[in-house]
Order: sequence, then C-alpha cells, then structure tokens
Amino acid sequence: MRARILIVEDSQLVAEAFSILFTEAGYEVDTAATVAEAIDRATSEAVDLMLLDISLPDGNGLEVLEALRARDSLPRVTLAMTGHNDSNSRLKCIEAGCAEVLLKPVPIGELLRHIERLLP
Amino acid sequence: MSMSDRPDPAALKKRLKALEAQAKEAQRTIDELKSRDALKTQFLSNISHDLRTPLAAIITHAEILREGMLGQLNSKQRDSVSGIVNGGQQLIDMIDEILTYVRSAGDQVSLARTDFSITEVVDQVRMLNQALAAKKGLTIERLNGDDLPPVYADRDKLKHVLGNLIGNAIKFTPDGGRIWISFSRRGRNSEELVVEVGDTGRGIARDHYELVFREFAQVDASPSRSHHGTGLGLAIARKLVELHSGTIWVESELGKGSRFYFTLPINPPHD
Repeated sequence: MRARILIVEDSQLVAEAFSILFTEAGYEVDTAATVAEAIDRATSEAVDLMLLDISLPDGNGLEVLEALRARDSLPRVTLAMTGHNDSNSRLKCIEAGCAEVLLKPVPIGELLRHIERLLP
Repeated sequence: MSMSDRPDPAALKKRLKALEAQAKEAQRTIDELKSRDALKTQFLSNISHDLRTPLAAIITHAEILREGMLGQLNSKQRDSVSGIVNGGQQLIDMIDEILTYVRSAGDQVSLARTDFSITEVVDQVRMLNQALAAKKGLTIERLNGDDLPPVYADRDKLKHVLGNLIGNAIKFTPDGGRIWISFSRRGRNSEELVVEVGDTGRGIARDHYELVFREFAQVDASPSRSHHGTGLGLAIARKLVELHSGTIWVESELGKGSRFYFTLPINPPHD
C-alpha cells in the first residue's frame, strides 16, 4: 500500500507544489491549511508522514502534534518546515517530536531523501 | 546699571514659554518619527515574509520540472529551468538578509550564548562557501586559532557575522585571489579576541571605511554597479558584533585588499 502524506501548509501555492511532487513520487497525498483542519484530517485517516508548517493562520503548527498526541493519533513521522533557521525554534520542534526541521524552501531532492529514509 | 539694561521679567517669561513650546513640539516630532520608523520596520518584516512564500512555491515547481518528474527535459530546457531555481534562490537569500536585519534592529533581540569553539564555526562557514569560492578560483584559509579557548557567544549570530564577512570577501575579490581568517588577542590580560577576515580584493577607500557599515549603503550605488545585493550584510555584521559588546572595523588599501576585524570579549560573565 502506498504511504500517505499529509501536507499542513497554509499557502495554497506551496501546498500545490508539494502535492504534485509527492504524487509524482508515488505517495498518497492529503492537505490541510490550518491547525484545526490538520487535526481533523490526521484523526479521520491514519497518516504515515506529516509535513508540518510551523506558522499557521490559527496557531502554531506544534499545537497539531500536541492535539494528535492527546488523541493517540500521531503520524508515524513528522517533518517540520519553518521560514527561519534559528536553533531555538529548531530545538522546540525536535522536543515536540519532529524527526527533522527543514528550512523553507526545502530543496526537493533533500526532502525526498528524508522521506525515503524515514518511511522504509 | 540702567533700568533699560535689566531683563524684562515679562519678556523672559514669554521667551521661556516659547522655548518650552518648541521643546514640546520637537518631542512630538521625535515620537512621530519613531512610530513611523517602527511601522516601516513592521512593514519590511511582513512584506519579506509574504514574498518568501510564493517564491518558495515557484522554486519547488521549477525543481520538480528540472528533476524531470513531469517528463524528461532536453538540456536547454533543463538549463533554463535551472535559471529559475537559481534566480529564485538568490531572491530568497536577499529576503532573508532583510529579515535578519529587521530582527537585529528590533528592541527584542536577545543573545542565546553558549561556550563553543570559534575555529569550528569558522571552518563550517569556510566549508559552506567553498563551492562559491572555487568557482572564482579563490582560496579561503584559516591561518591559526587551534589553541584558542572557547568563546561565550551566540553561535548562530556569530556564524552569520562570519558568513557575511567571508561572503563579502568572495564577492569583491577578483579571480585567483586569497581570503584568510586569523585570530589575535589584545587587551591588558588578552581579554579580547580579534578576528580578522582579509582578502586580496579591490579594497575600500579610506573615506568609505564608515560608509560600508551603514545600512543600505553601497560604495557604488549606481544602477550600473557591478555588484548587487541588499547592502545590508556589513550593517547586520556590525549590529550582531555590537550586541556582543564587540567592535567591528575595516583597514584597506585600494587595489590591494581589505582586512575586516571584529572583537569579542573572551571570557564575559556568563548569564
């Protein structure tokens, strides 16, 4: 069965680009644009990998992880994406349970390598 | 003294009132300018962030095309799409520079200090710039520093300072030149570390020693100038060095090269 990726990203432009990328790479893709939507999508169907934007219109992306942990529906793997690369925000993401923290725009080669490594 | 020489109390009072009114007016203007400046900074921060998002989408789309995920490209098509990716990346770097500047200019900047090896950071920044330097046939060497004690500073910010100084040196040094980083100590108890980033580039005229550290300033600001950029790199470097209670300056000889120096307290009180 194909692995399922949930893209949590409020910019439709960016989400669309990732959708094309992951679909072409052979994954099943779902998208969410807000914290609330992400929680809804991830609890309604199991997610193998969540690509999580940290700044969302209705809150911090890490709130999604908190809510999913409380509902026992964490994705197998979460990759965080952030616009600024400071060690403080990196650390917060890792502490919240993200496998990697990627700086936007994430080069697609790097992104696909991470995903292949984390979703054997 | 005749009566007419004595200052008229009523006139003095009037003069005092006028001065007070002027001072009040000046204060109002200062407050107004400060709040407009804050608005502009906020605008710069918002617009930079908002420019970044669609650019990220453009770059990702172009990369998908370049990698042939939507069908193989011929080599001309691939070169053209690579141009979109590279141009986009350059824009992202400029936007990031503006964001860093805005953040370092704000009142809320704080340092996240730890003890670390500065030579390790220098070597990291050298590695990051190796490819860019190699393209111009430049060498980047670290001349000494293996025996330095750890510094207590904000690692990310110091890395940024070194990145800007080395990036600047690469930009302004002609093909085949040299760039080096060296360390020395000064002060009565050698309590200050002096970091030097030198190059064999075009150099800076003495009149421009101050100007190069000013925000948005470029020595050659004409539209036909050969080097483009935000003009913020050295202004950011200065802000970040000053946050560490250090100083930054340049010594240079036109046509021979420049040496940028900055200082860091070696063993400042740990918070």
